[in-house]
Amino acid sequence: MASNRRHFIIASVLIVICTLIVYWVLDTVLLKPAAAVVEAGPIDYLFDLHIWLIAFLFALVGVFMCYALIVFRARGDEGDGEHIHGNGLLEIIWTVVPCFVVVYFAWIGTTMLIDLTEAHPDEYVVSAEGRQWSWLFTYPESGAVTPDLVLPVDTPIRMDLTSDDVLHNFWVPEFRVKQDTVPGMVTYVRFTPNLIGEYVLRCAELCGTNHSGMLATVRVVSQEEFKLWQSEQVAQLQE
Amino acid sequence: MSLFTLGIARGLVGQVLGMVIGMLLTCAVRILLGWEAWAAEPAWTVGSVCSIIGFLLGVGSLDDWLKWTRGIQTPLVHGPPVDKPAWTRYFSVDYNHKVIGVQYTVWGILLLMVGGTVAMIFRTELARSGLQFLGLDLYNSFIGMHGMIMIFAILLGVGGMGNYLVPLMIGAEDMAFPRLNALGFWFNVPGSILLLLSLFIGGWDAGWTAYPPLSARGPIGYQLFFLGVFAIGLSSIVGSLNLLVTLLRMRPAGMSLFRMPIFCWAVFATSLIQLTATQLIGTSFLMVSVQRAIGMGFFDPRGILGEVSPMVGGGDPVLFQHLFWFYSHPAVYIFVLPGLGIVSELLPVFSRKPLFGYKWIALSSMAIAIVGFIVWGHHMFVSGYNDILRIPFMYATLLVAIPTGVKFFSWLGTIWGGKVHFDTPMLFVLGAISVFLIGGLTGPILATVPTDLPLHDSYFVVGHFHATMFGGFVFPFFAALYYWFPKVTGRMYNEKLGKIHFFIMTPAFWVQTLGQMGVGVMGMRRRIADYDPTLGQGQIENWQMAVTIAGFAIAFGVMLMLWNFFQNAEVGVSAGDNPWRSRSPEWQIPSPIPEHSFPAPLKVVGEPYDYGLADSGYVTTTSPGDD
Repeated sequence: MASNRRHFIIASVLIVICTLIVYWVLDTVLLKPAAAVVEAGPIDYLFDLHIWLIAFLFALVGVFMCYALIVFRARGDEGDGEHIHGNGLLEIIWTVVPCFVVVYFAWIGTTMLIDLTEAHPDEYVVSAEGRQWSWLFTYPESGAVTPDLVLPVDTPIRMDLTSDDVLHNFWVPEFRVKQDTVPGMVTYVRFTPNLIGEYVLRCAELCGTNHSGMLATVRVVSQEEFKLWQSEQVAQLQE
Repeated sequence: MSLFTLGIARGLVGQVLGMVIGMLLTCAVRILLGWEAWAAEPAWTVGSVCSIIGFLLGVGSLDDWLKWTRGIQTPLVHGPPVDKPAWTRYFSVDYNHKVIGVQYTVWGILLLMVGGTVAMIFRTELARSGLQFLGLDLYNSFIGMHGMIMIFAILLGVGGMGNYLVPLMIGAEDMAFPRLNALGFWFNVPGSILLLLSLFIGGWDAGWTAYPPLSARGPIGYQLFFLGVFAIGLSSIVGSLNLLVTLLRMRPAGMSLFRMPIFCWAVFATSLIQLTATQLIGTSFLMVSVQRAIGMGFFDPRGILGEVSPMVGGGDPVLFQHLFWFYSHPAVYIFVLPGLGIVSELLPVFSRKPLFGYKWIALSSMAIAIVGFIVWGHHMFVSGYNDILRIPFMYATLLVAIPTGVKFFSWLGTIWGGKVHFDTPMLFVLGAISVFLIGGLTGPILATVPTDLPLHDSYFVVGHFHATMFGGFVFPFFAALYYWFPKVTGRMYNEKLGKIHFFIMTPAFWVQTLGQMGVGVMGMRRRIADYDPTLGQGQIENWQMAVTIAGFAIAFGVMLMLWNFFQNAEVGVSAGDNPWRSRSPEWQIPSPIPEHSFPAPLKVVGEPYDYGLADSGYVTTTSPGDD
């Protein structure tokens, strides 16, 4: 057992080092799109927390496995290993501890989800309709209908999503959140753009031949520019 | 010898005749109704149903039952066919579970190759952005084809391992219902032929999940696809019923449930899911089929079929997803539980140490099977069902991590303190653990709704899913093929080639799966024929190229394995009865196994995995007179 203690100390040190390395590699290699909405903050934070968990558990299992394979390799002899059938206490520990971890993560997920889907009293509503293979946006306030989406910065947005034909999905990678559009019902998604720029809306639910090309431009503009754009649209409607 | 002494040849003729008869029947009914005689969709649909029956009649899988209806007795024939070469039994109806197990496995490997080839074709397309040589529709058909063919292949592989190994491991003479066992296999052949045929009559472009309304309006290929899946589903149901009865009723005296080889527990858990959940995918696909054929608007909200039948409507597309995933999530556990059972089965043999925490591993399989039934909603986190219900599904899904963790830690406990041998089967077991670890660890980030929102329907899911399938099925399946090859053939494979296969395939798979997840994080959607080359700060093409190269390396490795088996099945070095010094019953009898596996009923005298305990045995296979 004394040698087991030595093994565990060495393995623990290796696990710490390995966790840091795996986290650093994943953090460097995984290239998230720019964050262009307020909601990306908490989502990316939870993403990062998950990466830490992945790094630690990968190190835990990986180090123990590789370590055991090296230390306990058969050195040419045909004998058998130790006759151990298991350890009830260990099994209970590695059943109960993960319970707390997953409930903790689920609890963070729950509170965050409630925040993400909560209605804002002053949200600006835009309707989007998916159709094979383009998008159509309607601004209820002005009655304007456009093929591209223009949104004011720093304004809570609610997109009301419908579909004319098959399932589609409203997803701007920079906005993180996504939501299916379903024929026969209105679904919705909420976000608050906070970065002025031009993004691409990409349909994320297989919708037939040109699914990969079902894109639309999304422009997040300053509130003044948005007012200006809106009045232009109204003027065009009146012509 | 005429070709038609082979059951499969007669079956194929029967399938063609059935198809023709079904089509003629449809035309006749239409003429009687005063409609235009030919309509492609109903003709192919009725033809496909008849073609499945035609195949089963032709191959002779229903012969005994048909004779019984006329009062004719038919004995259960066991043994090679009289006045025909012995090998022909593998191409005809045979009631020996060892033959059926090989039939399942070989047909599964064939489909694995077809599905892999399809993947290589569209992986080549994806190596660069822009469309190179595939059209959009063909691409969409191919991704669904790849998915469904692979699912068939995996179900066949699972069936192969279960049918071959379970009776041997519990010392049963055969499966409980040998005729049903044969029928279970033969359903697969017309089913997979229909699936492959669907590509040539228009294909189907909604992916293997075939969500309506898209699947309700696409080409005729859908009907063949739906009916093919239906046939495979029937195979799953009768096969799992057979395995459950065999496991529960045919164990020898003294083999309590907790003294079964651990693989039997995995098969038990898998069969429970197959027996109770398969109906749901059958139903959901049949409902779309009926919606298409006669306009019953199950999933059609407002009569979008338009002029075809203007009155339909009142259905709900999201309902389909519930029915579909109620099977298709547990199905993932159908695929991986037997594989994880193989890992648990082989680790003690090659570590020369008892399985650590046998009962915990056995019950973790049951826990996964049961929890698997209440997590389907995580596939639909963005589908638009009740917002609040996403939370219980998130908790339930994360709970799956616990029994899965028990397996991982118990495997580590098994290796720890052992004397580990690194033969090819063990390498694949270790590869399986490493790959399933990647697949498992990338699960919680998808199960947590806020982090799922950006990752849902992205390529990250593709990477995660392939890691679970390779770690949970492909690697363990290959380990099983290498491990039991000497038992099935009596010959040894080439160890060096086996190791080369492993050292090519494992790193290649790591690259592939991490590459797929990486492009998903960049923002690439799944199931797209063309992607935006500016994603990931313009690096996405390099990643895609790496994934494609890794995919080809894996394919090369699989070819090496098949070559290795092909070369050594007849002329390889004699392997002896028990090259791995295993305690399991099947290794205590000669290789290859004689027609009647055990000379006398097994007697259980000890624990299955008492490696390291001197003078202990698990079973004795001597005849009663020797006691």
